[in-house]
Amino acid sequence: MNGLERMLAAVRFTPGDRPPVAPQLFGHAARWCGIPLRDYVQDGALMADCQLRIQAHYGHDAVFAFMDFGLESEAIGSRLRFYEAQYPEITDYVLPPGADAGQLRLPDPTADGRLPELLRGIARLRSALGDTTLVAGSLLGPMSLATQLYGMEAALFLAADDPGRFEIALDYATACAIRYGQAQIAAGAHLPVVFDPAASPAVVPPAFFRELLLPRLQRLFAALRQAGAVANWLNIAGPTAPILPWYPAAGADIATFDYYVSPEQAAGLLPQTCLLGNLKSLDFLDAHPQRIAAAAHLALAAFRERGGFILSSGCEIPPESAPANIAALIAARDGE
Amino acid sequence: MDTAFPAVDEFGTLIDVLLAGDHAAALAETQRLIQAGHPAEKIVTAGLETAMRRLDDKCTVESFNLLEIMLVGRAVSAVVHELYPEGVPPENSRGTLIVATLEGDVHDLGKNIVKMVLIGKGYRVVDLGRDCPVATLVAATAREAASGVLISGLISSIVPQVRRVRPALRTHGLGSVWVVAGGAALKQCAAADLDVDYVAENAFDGARYIEARFTGATP
Repeated sequence: MNGLERMLAAVRFTPGDRPPVAPQLFGHAARWCGIPLRDYVQDGALMADCQLRIQAHYGHDAVFAFMDFGLESEAIGSRLRFYEAQYPEITDYVLPPGADAGQLRLPDPTADGRLPELLRGIARLRSALGDTTLVAGSLLGPMSLATQLYGMEAALFLAADDPGRFEIALDYATACAIRYGQAQIAAGAHLPVVFDPAASPAVVPPAFFRELLLPRLQRLFAALRQAGAVANWLNIAGPTAPILPWYPAAGADIATFDYYVSPEQAAGLLPQTCLLGNLKSLDFLDAHPQRIAAAAHLALAAFRERGGFILSSGCEIPPESAPANIAALIAARDGE
Repeated sequence: MDTAFPAVDEFGTLIDVLLAGDHAAALAETQRLIQAGHPAEKIVTAGLETAMRRLDDKCTVESFNLLEIMLVGRAVSAVVHELYPEGVPPENSRGTLIVATLEGDVHDLGKNIVKMVLIGKGYRVVDLGRDCPVATLVAATAREAASGVLISGLISSIVPQVRRVRPALRTHGLGSVWVVAGGAALKQCAAADLDVDYVAENAFDGARYIEARFTGATP
């Protein structure tokens, strides 16, 4: 079996030769290759080369075309500041507090900001890997993109003070995600991972997720499936137990779960959905590799009978992580 | 009836609108209480602190969410600004604390939340903002005679900076100052790994630790 087949076997709960492993290696690939993160997030070809090199080294089952969470907002008109060794930050949001997102035009994936760079990276990854390894693109989910239009505080106050106007922002963000997701699949992504950290119950109550975000995620995932995504992957970090049961209704086939949720709890909440997680991402910085190995073996053991599991961290493996810890994660899989 | 210690009921409306996150109603109710002759300190202790205690009880790890906290925080800030337009005087506070996000981390939402919680609980809070050098943190701690510093960190690259705080405070004779860390990245670390006194799960957890230190209780 190759990596893509292994990932899809987990999604379909069919037997595989070994459990798939998909460490969330984004900016770490730049650091591992000795490339400044500033360059990695602005050059799709460079990003793809770093992903290919680190995949060739570790042999994991998925590569990620991910730059940063400011990508879409920048393409819409926000201004970013770039750093040598950190992800960029938004310095000026495209919308002032309370403004109408309905006035914004949808960004052009082939022309605006760095959107085309990410597409170039996806095309290069797919060209190099074909169908041997899952090529994952990346999208901001509706809630997170809405917050990136105004800034988190202004967006949350808008959600409370003028829910109608905030829903316009959510609809706009959903339309952006659909358009960019379709472009990523057309460029060669097997699927785009939908990252929606602001949809976490740590940010908004579960009822907010159910009433406002679930319908938009349904629209987004339906459109991605229609565009040819091999599966739908929803990635929300934090204490997601209260919202996990709604993931199947959203259309998610792969659910990332973080260290807050135990494997047993996640399996109970999502009995028929492929789960991906859930090692603590900060442990990859300087915990002993034995600790990573032990945590990985525990997670693998929890899903040995059930299947439908992809070994990973619950959130991004930090760029400055120790390579020995990533090697320990991979070795745990190889020992199965 | 002892007017120096009005019943909590007189502050019931203020508590309710604070917990509802209705900042306009909280402001109006505060103005009514002032006009009724209630001193600012009493509005803080019977109104704000009671509301924050109830919110604290409600905000377990499972149910803590930013939206709700921010709405209450906005209401609390409006009330505090109405009571103390020039800032809370030290003699009217339960103690002085420093909050900051360290140099290299520009995410300050977590810091703003912990600041709001501490103000709501009656502390004087000196906010050093984001991207704050450790040297600035140490100088402010000495200048303000702060009892504790609270550091929020969203990104993992900030960990080495956090580890510098305790030695820097010690070098300047401030070794007894409590150091509390929190935020999405830092809360995944152990206190010993960061060389801090406590790693808080959320803003209320951090505030509980601070309260315990002030009262001499075992944190």
